Amino acid sequence: MIEIALNVNGKEHHASLQPYLSLMDFLRDMLGYKGVKVCCSTGECGACTVYMNGKLVNSCVTLAAAADSGEITTVEGLASNGKLHPVQIAFIETGASQCGYCTPGFIMSAKVLLDEHPNPTVDDIKDVISGNICRCTGYTKIIEAIQLAASIQLAEQVYGD
Amino acid sequence: MEYFSPTSVEDAVSILHKYGERSRLIAGGTDLMVDMRFKDQPDCLVNINRLSNLSFIKPDEDCLRIGALTTIRELEANHLIKTRFRVLWNAAHQFASLQIRNAATIGGNIARASPAGETLAPLLTLEAKARFVTADGEQLLPLERFFLGPGRTALGAGGLLTGIEVPYPDDGARGVYLKHAVRGPMDIVVVGVATTITFDGRSAVNEARIGLAAVGPTPMRARGSEQLLQGKHLDLPLIEEAARGAAEEAKPISDHRASAEYRRWIVESLTRRALTQAWQNV
Ligand SMILES: Cc1cc2nc3c(=O)[nH]c(=O)nc-3n(C[C@H](O)[C@H](O)[C@H](O)COP(=O)(O)OP(=O)(O)OC[C@H]3O[C@@H](n4cnc5c(N)ncnc54)[C@H](O)[C@@H]3O)c2cc1C
Ligand code: FES
Ligand code: FES
Repeated sequence: MIEIALNVNGKEHHASLQPYLSLMDFLRDMLGYKGVKVCCSTGECGACTVYMNGKLVNSCVTLAAAADSGEITTVEGLASNGKLHPVQIAFIETGASQCGYCTPGFIMSAKVLLDEHPNPTVDDIKDVISGNICRCTGYTKIIEAIQLAASIQLAEQVYGD
Repeated sequence: MEYFSPTSVEDAVSILHKYGERSRLIAGGTDLMVDMRFKDQPDCLVNINRLSNLSFIKPDEDCLRIGALTTIRELEANHLIKTRFRVLWNAAHQFASLQIRNAATIGGNIARASPAGETLAPLLTLEAKARFVTADGEQLLPLERFFLGPGRTALGAGGLLTGIEVPYPDDGARGVYLKHAVRGPMDIVVVGVATTITFDGRSAVNEARIGLAAVGPTPMRARGSEQLLQGKHLDLPLIEEAARGAAEEAKPISDHRASAEYRRWIVESLTRRALTQAWQNV
């Protein structure tokens, strides 16, 4: 067993864990962040997407020990003061979530895009979600949701929350 | 399982030396995490992420130096690589998803030595060298001699790749990397073709280098076709002949992704396309 200390969604955690443990298994099974979904476990589908030190990664192919002294954000950490992030609101409004299993991963990817490109093209959107797989929606509504999220974000910047 | 997170290359190498075959280095983890979950676990895991001085892209006078822990995303975002080392940039840009590019390191891609590794054929055409440390000391070896077989390199069991050295291609060199995969960038290449070509004046080839991925036990150069092009003016019949030559030189196998025959066919069409792109941009 090894010891690590890290910050998840603004909260400090100390844990003792097996060295081979993935960040995905660690976040879900030891810390209870079930918004990190388990699906392929091979880095293909994006269901387990989180930010590690601000970078979008698949937590299933990340070593938990590599997050020692680092900062992790999961989908649980996106809402602030009880208010959902514009991407989350847009996914609900558009019906971009059907079974919902892929949704946290898509939301994490979409937020990264909007942080860098507040007004993305459809190609920008397709690019950033290319590492996320959805078996239900056919992607059309997901792309619409991300476009709507961009509008909500721009409106918030102009008119305030 | 024992676990180490060394802060110096010397410490890392002495741990590897002590545990030999039973140890594994882990960098981004995008290959090794999958192995550890579905295949086998080493007795000793050596996390090299604290060797932060191995993360750099450094344009020196004689060559571009890239540290082993530099991520594929960092290569993709680098302006010098995008402009002067286009063949490598093409490969970084077509590499899996943003999630994977953010984590995957160039050192891991090279050390993994998969014949399908995305950066390898481009680096062969740039005549890059690998710098690595073993218990016997430091070595610098041209990549072409570094790869020994699928998953086998000059690193052996106890070597740590610290980085690569890439000579600057001549001004006006054209670099193209084309990837054929069934499901686009997310998928492992069925065939990859890299070309780096320099022209003398207008369209006479000064030097042509052609690298092939996933058509042999290691990534390889198509030397016969390179020689065929040398000194000649490019035109369509010559490009056709060079493309057929590259397909003959390839040593593909049949597997669940494609048959050997299909792979040769793709080598021919990608080589034709890559040479045509280089030629049209002169
Ligand atoms: C979903 C998915 C998609 C992928 N798509 C592509 C693709 O399009 N193209 C492609 O080429 N690859 C692809 N890969 C494979 C993988 O991402 C790359 O090979 C990557 O570059 C490996 O780097 P890493 O840092 O993650 O390596 P790790 O998994 O950390 O290590 C890989 C191997 O190299 C060894 N190693 C790592 N660093 C060093 C070093 N400095 N010195 C010595 N040995 C070292 C490790 O011991 C291990 O055996 C994909 C993987 C996944 C999961
Ligand atoms: S579960 Fe991690 S990418 Fe699919
Ligand atoms: S909503 Fe079901 S997988 Fe995407």
